[in-house]
Amino acid sequence: MSQPTLTQAPAVGNATGPERGTTPAVRPRRPGRPLVALARRLGAADWIAVGFLGILLLAIAAPGLLAAYDPLEVSPGNTLQAPSLAHPFGTDYLGRDALSRVIHGTGRTIGASLVAVAIGLGAGSLLGLVAAYFGRWVDGVVSRIVDVLLSIPGLLLSMVIVVALGFGTLNAAIAVGIASVATFTRLMRSEVLTVRNLPFVESAHHIGAGSKTVLFRHVLPNSYSAVLSMTALQFGHSILWIAALSFLGYGAPPPQPEWGLLVAEGREYIVSSPWLTVLPGIVIVLTVLSISRVSALFRTNQETKK
Amino acid sequence: MSRTQFLLRRIGQSLLVIALTYVFVFYVLFLLPGDPIESRIVNPQNPIPAEQAAAILAYYNLDRNGLEQFWISVTRLFQGDLGFSLGTGRPVAELIRDGFAETLTLAGLALVFALAFAVAIAATAVLAPWRWARGLADKLPVVALATPGFLVGLVLLQVFAYQLSWFSSIRDEGFKSLILPALTLAVGVSAPIAQVLIQGLRQAYGEPFVTVLRAKGVPESRIFGGHALKNASIPALTLFGLTVGELLAGSVIAEAVFNRSGLGFVTEQAVRAQDGPVVQAVVMLVAIIFTLVNLLTDLLYPVIDKRIAAKTLGSGTGSRTPAADLDTRQEVLTP
Repeated sequence: MSQPTLTQAPAVGNATGPERGTTPAVRPRRPGRPLVALARRLGAADWIAVGFLGILLLAIAAPGLLAAYDPLEVSPGNTLQAPSLAHPFGTDYLGRDALSRVIHGTGRTIGASLVAVAIGLGAGSLLGLVAAYFGRWVDGVVSRIVDVLLSIPGLLLSMVIVVALGFGTLNAAIAVGIASVATFTRLMRSEVLTVRNLPFVESAHHIGAGSKTVLFRHVLPNSYSAVLSMTALQFGHSILWIAALSFLGYGAPPPQPEWGLLVAEGREYIVSSPWLTVLPGIVIVLTVLSISRVSALFRTNQETKK
Repeated sequence: MSRTQFLLRRIGQSLLVIALTYVFVFYVLFLLPGDPIESRIVNPQNPIPAEQAAAILAYYNLDRNGLEQFWISVTRLFQGDLGFSLGTGRPVAELIRDGFAETLTLAGLALVFALAFAVAIAATAVLAPWRWARGLADKLPVVALATPGFLVGLVLLQVFAYQLSWFSSIRDEGFKSLILPALTLAVGVSAPIAQVLIQGLRQAYGEPFVTVLRAKGVPESRIFGGHALKNASIPALTLFGLTVGELLAGSVIAEAVFNRSGLGFVTEQAVRAQDGPVVQAVVMLVAIIFTLVNLLTDLLYPVIDKRIAAKTLGSGTGSRTPAADLDTRQEVLTP
């Protein structure tokens, strides 16, 4: 079975690498300008992914700059037009420019995914850290919580929470966040368990460092790298889940532009205007692909550094 | 730890998880601040007649405290009483029974498609004589994982039902109308399986036994089907639980896109109406199936792979079985 070692490899490498710092001669690459070194190794697909994420960032920061039209502006004479130079994604049943709606929806969808990941990462890694470090009954309780959260498939779990909290973008984000807590907890727990048994942690204990110091100075910095690459992965997942929840109508109420909702609205006109569903859908796919591509870059960068 | 002890411990663990999940779902749905039942059923938009609504309200004993409500719900559960839908007023058990068979058929067909896709993609990625085909098949699962299920469904609907008219989008054509939703489900489900199979096949074809088989003159098709694929499928077995979970959760999307009336549709409607009792029943049913499938995978794994049997039983830590140990999503989704 190669699986467990694969997830643990980077953390172990990291732990024995920079933290000890006793064997600098073994590492010829100096950690001066990692970004330059990274940029040199990028392939064409990597650049496309980075570029696409750049455009998304712009769409979040200044949607008005990219979008030619108001996303909510109705134009009765212009309904359901095919993609053209003036309207690259066509117009919807109220004559609103579909591309502008996608651009203005970026912030909402990506923002909701960020909230979801922040909740999952924050609560999940804290639980994992505590469980692994204190062990005994704490570990038992946390492990049961994880078992329960993992016994319901993620999308269904987030639906349960949506029922309890009510609809809306933020509630959908919280639901997806709670649904991803267990994944982070489990990973963090196993990472911390690996690190805390390494000799340097034991040494820190022997020198007389308190358990808080050991936990936050030594164990945490050496166990989070695998968790970070999981964060990027989970970010992509969150976008898909939030899009699914909003497609089903549990997210933002219409006229708001949210990616999943845009696809759901376009669905009514799929026979005459398939681009209204397909083009926003492709934007979702490209976003998730770009995120996983870029996160893979950082992962390989970490692995080559050790 | 002896084999029986391991078995009993693992079964006990699963039962505990199911019980705790029930508590969790109950508390999330019924006892969070706010009034989940009354505000939803005494509502001008609710189609249920006032008398029936009053009866349902009385049924849920909202005047009792949380612990008593929980106790009442558990006793009723053991009597086979799942309560009433707040959206339609029908008994929950009836709704579930009506939808279950349809979703099971859909999920079963989707599983068959998914396995076929996964084997075809993995074989292409490892064995195709053309470099571009290998590269393409290698990337395909990554793209499939990044594609929302509803998009797959809508594109299939647009192309095969509206453009080509191979399927009707409205009429129920029996088995035939299962094909598109099953394909929709299968795309997402097949991707992780394909990724694990690709990895397994690469490893298997690197083993010396393949050279020996070739030297003996065994035909390539038999090396693939009888040996390499067999070895590569063992790690894919750990994905079985995940696959079943994806099938059940994905059916909500697939049935919503294709307007089918299975369990997924019941779930979608229940969430839309914030219909707690129905959501609770569906989620518990899925959680039970999911947990039992994971249990079964864990118990069968040592039987199928004798190398694991020695490890699992010898190490004395019964809970760290392969399926439990493997963070499938982390492993599988990494491109």
